[in-house]
Amino acid sequence: MAQEALLAQMRRGTLQYCVLALLADEERYGFDLVRALAEVDGMVTGEGTIYPLLSRLRRDRLVETTWQESPTGPPRRYYRLTEAGQASLEGFLREWGRFRDAVDHFVERKAS
Amino acid sequence: MNSTADRAVNTYLERLDADLADLPRARRREIVDEIAEHIAEARAELPTESEAETRSLLERLGDPADIAADARQRFGVVPARPGWMETAALVLLLFGGFVFGVGWIIGLVLLWSSAVWTPWEKLLGTLVVPGGLAGSFFLFSLWAVSADSGHGTGPCLDTNTNRTIECGSGGGSNVLPLVGIGLLFVAPLITTAYLALRMRRRAELVRA
Repeated sequence: MAQEALLAQMRRGTLQYCVLALLADEERYGFDLVRALAEVDGMVTGEGTIYPLLSRLRRDRLVETTWQESPTGPPRRYYRLTEAGQASLEGFLREWGRFRDAVDHFVERKAS
Repeated sequence: MNSTADRAVNTYLERLDADLADLPRARRREIVDEIAEHIAEARAELPTESEAETRSLLERLGDPADIAADARQRFGVVPARPGWMETAALVLLLFGGFVFGVGWIIGLVLLWSSAVWTPWEKLLGTLVVPGGLAGSFFLFSLWAVSADSGHGTGPCLDTNTNRTIECGSGGGSNVLPLVGIGLLFVAPLITTAYLALRMRRRAELVRA
């Protein structure tokens, strides 16, 4: 149970950077982002929780949005990385690499 | 459009909106709008408009309570915990009017300063019925006085013919006022019960 809670917290903490990474190369709208995240097993449990995250990222000015016409239906809100968002992502990538290597260093000996 | 599937979507969005009540208004709007948009996009891709598929789509989105809990954490909103202030608000709204009306005003202040109810629910609590049960009694006495002066106090003068005639006692129209009076007293009770239910739901959300 405690392990499950830890995994949930880890997922929660890193999800924001997965979203920023998905936006690094292209603008996306909400449904498209969710679909990309849901394709990878184990990343998202409830798809709906992406939207509070997007709202928070927007408030922190890590992403910005523009309305764009959609070929079908009403206009969509597209999310795009800001400079601050880009910097935040790069900072995380450096730390994440170090952290992942450190954890792997200790646990992989046991796994093999 | 499939109406049962539509209803499932509407219920889901209404619950989400209510569960997000303690978030800043703009954030709440944004999240609900985006999720409504998500549902519309996802439904457009469904091969059929079946209710089962719509429900599984909503299931993938997750329980509105979970989304709201996540949103509260993301925005550092301390969940509104119903306490004695909320209970006092409901009691005062219902009975406070009997204390020179002041009690009801205090209840109103407590109602609007609480984060437990949505603006819509607060409006309902304010308008149905102003003054609470005392307001109902007041409106009832107004009606009773006007009804009293209207008929049954004896013969009255017909100004056209200058003859005394029997004033209409309106035997047939007595049923409608009775229903109205009933509603007048039941409405504040129902409103209070509804607000209490919403309060309990919020308490459950906090515990979840």
